[in-house]
Amino acid sequence: MENSKAPNRFKKLFSKRGIGQVVTVSLGLLVLIIVFGILNPNFFSNRNISNLLRQIAPILLIGIGQSYVLITGNIDLSIGSVVGMSCMISATLMTKGMNPWLAVVITYIASIAIGFLNGKLVSKANLPAFIATLGTMTIARGIAQIVNNNYNTDSIGVGAEGFRNFFYYGKSFGLYNTIWIALGFWIAFNFILSRTRTGRHIYAVGSNTHAAHLSGVNISSTVTKAYLVSSICAATVGLITTATSGMGTMDAGNGYELYAVAASVIGGVSTLGGQGILLGTIVGASIWGVLQNGLQFAGAPVAIRNIVIGIIVIISVLLDIIVRANKNKSRA
Amino acid sequence: MGNYIVEMENVYKGFPGVKALDNVSFNLKSGEVLALLGENGAGKSTLMKILSGVYTKDSGTIKIFGEVIEEINPVKAQELGIAIIHQELNMCAHLTIAQNIFLGRELTNKGMLSDKEMNKEAVKIFKRLNMDMDPETLVGDLSVSKQQMVEIAKALSTNAKILIMDEPTSALTSNEIEDLFTIIKKLKSEGHGIVYISHRLEELEYIIDRVMILRDGQYILSMDYKETSLSEIISYMVGREITEKFPRIKRNLGKKILEVQNLNAGPHVRDINLSLYEGEIVGIAGLMGAGRTETTRALFGADFKESGKVFIDGVEVKIDKPIDAIKAGIVLAPEDRKKDGLCTKLSIKDNIALPNLDILSSKLGIVNRREEMDMTKKTIGDLDIRLASVEDNAEGLSGGNQQKLTVGKWLARDSRVVIFDEPTRGIDVAAKVEIYNLMNELKNQGIGVLFVSSEMPEILGMSDRILVMADGKITKELDVEDATQDIILEYATKFDKK
Repeated sequence: MENSKAPNRFKKLFSKRGIGQVVTVSLGLLVLIIVFGILNPNFFSNRNISNLLRQIAPILLIGIGQSYVLITGNIDLSIGSVVGMSCMISATLMTKGMNPWLAVVITYIASIAIGFLNGKLVSKANLPAFIATLGTMTIARGIAQIVNNNYNTDSIGVGAEGFRNFFYYGKSFGLYNTIWIALGFWIAFNFILSRTRTGRHIYAVGSNTHAAHLSGVNISSTVTKAYLVSSICAATVGLITTATSGMGTMDAGNGYELYAVAASVIGGVSTLGGQGILLGTIVGASIWGVLQNGLQFAGAPVAIRNIVIGIIVIISVLLDIIVRANKNKSRA
Repeated sequence: MGNYIVEMENVYKGFPGVKALDNVSFNLKSGEVLALLGENGAGKSTLMKILSGVYTKDSGTIKIFGEVIEEINPVKAQELGIAIIHQELNMCAHLTIAQNIFLGRELTNKGMLSDKEMNKEAVKIFKRLNMDMDPETLVGDLSVSKQQMVEIAKALSTNAKILIMDEPTSALTSNEIEDLFTIIKKLKSEGHGIVYISHRLEELEYIIDRVMILRDGQYILSMDYKETSLSEIISYMVGREITEKFPRIKRNLGKKILEVQNLNAGPHVRDINLSLYEGEIVGIAGLMGAGRTETTRALFGADFKESGKVFIDGVEVKIDKPIDAIKAGIVLAPEDRKKDGLCTKLSIKDNIALPNLDILSSKLGIVNRREEMDMTKKTIGDLDIRLASVEDNAEGLSGGNQQKLTVGKWLARDSRVVIFDEPTRGIDVAAKVEIYNLMNELKNQGIGVLFVSSEMPEILGMSDRILVMADGKITKELDVEDATQDIILEYATKFDKK
């Protein structure tokens, strides 16, 4: 272009899919951390940081999945129920004495089936994503209830110590394994989204389905892949839940699908599709976790935490809309 | 010029209720720029969408580079070297130029996208076209003309040999058009075959080798551009005699109701001045993109206007929103009935009541259901809408009845000016005549009628006066006695020399 190079590079970086908002919310995150740190010096204690990161991990995981789906221009409401289903299936199998790792495999297969169904209902049968995943959300919750005859499970027992350590209690290189799992997922799925053909197609489908189709992109398989990612992430969170409490809870993951939307949206993922990066989701999930943890530390009741988080979600999206409106105005 | 690269023979394509293409044959040579011409709805876009695999033909044969091709879909078309630059640009606004160019054919290295290489390739193509663009710019940040250049670059990156350009200049400025023509000439010299669809007949002389004319879905003729003239082309495009009946009634010209001065609203509404008298029907003619719909929307307050005064009965009224227009006695029956005209999921009664709730409800906002029913029955009787129950959804009505409802819901109020935008689009001949009768009824009542239509016979048959628009401006005002299809088409293609 005509302009000189140096400021252009900077501008380009900002104009790239949502980097701008990531920077803004990162500043917000920084402010939150400082405020909570001042309110309570123990906030920065090793113990709390470690706990905080472990609190963020599940939100980041479901956030990754929801971000994938949102970028294709759809939504996945079944996430929370898949978490519950995964928790109940894995715990039930383990209480029945199955090898924990075999139970993990079966859990993943069941969850992936839900993701596959979501993808095909939306992209092949052309159901609105909201309706399709509302349906599978109810189905998955029903499965979570039915696998142990409508009871939460007993303790998964000592045979599952290894499983519990792997997903929750154990540490590697000084950090809880849960954190490593979330980080590993993030690195892998961020790579796929930003560096592979599949990732590019996910953006294209969300940006302009028609144009993507005319360019030879397979819409159905692209959308299905996004839903598969979402269900794999949700299944993992379900396993972490089982490992945490050592039992299966039927209403595990309740409302998680919307927490996932919140983490994505705070991080700059557009609910209209085509826009957002997983770097944003990590910041969004962190804001979520820091607020929960910080407010808890400050002694705020759950109700207040909910109200604050709701306000943050609205403000972050509102900011984005205002910024975009200004950008359009300056262009016109 | 070289061999035939496209040969289409006896192609048929029908849509429900319409024969879009009726035994059309078409061919294109390499190194040739062919203008595909015809009025709106002549079948140009349909034919090209078949060639590029967006639509499938009902029957007929297609040969590309001499080889018979049975089925074309978008992917296959790309493999065959066919690329279409759409009138409505088709790109992912959130992706960069290079990402759009290589969408669906991304260059990878061990499964990883090689953005660097794609950027490099994009720059190479731009160099070839003498363009200077940064491949990392987001397409959403580009002007329409630049987006079009990207589409062309995308076509070239697929090694397309057959390029279809559908109204490529409609959104371009004169400089940009020159750039485009330079590129077209360059592509031609490289041996590409180019199909050029345009309403702007005046620009043809700069680039066109041959013209082919379609009319009402039928092939009319093809000839060398040098051996023909604009007036000959126009007469072949128009062709038919007017056979439909128009129940014209005499005009009883009253006083001036509406006057519009210097209306400006975006690129498609420039300096519009018009007036309308009691008991008069004024037709607005023009080609697609001339700014007719935009003018009516700006007048009605549906779109933002930059400037312009509107007078009703000599008194200036301020119209910023549709409600201002409605209060001033101006109503609009929009072009897209289902999108803008009706709430199709609501009942017929609700649709009629919707714009009249102020009349129908008490001060507390409670709707008087008896009055609502009375108004519904009266409107339906006046319009002669046939229906099973007024509680049925408007969705279930026929196109003609929907159109009547779109208009009729306004008639319960004392309107002074009724604007119709394409009132007979997509409805059958009998329903058309009913709409014409309705227009006459309004005319009899002393209401001023303004109507936009792409159907020339209708404009000539119903209007007392005709305004011709091109490129956002009124290029000619005609009394119906002086108007012919040729004159209208002449002014409808009268663009400022660019």
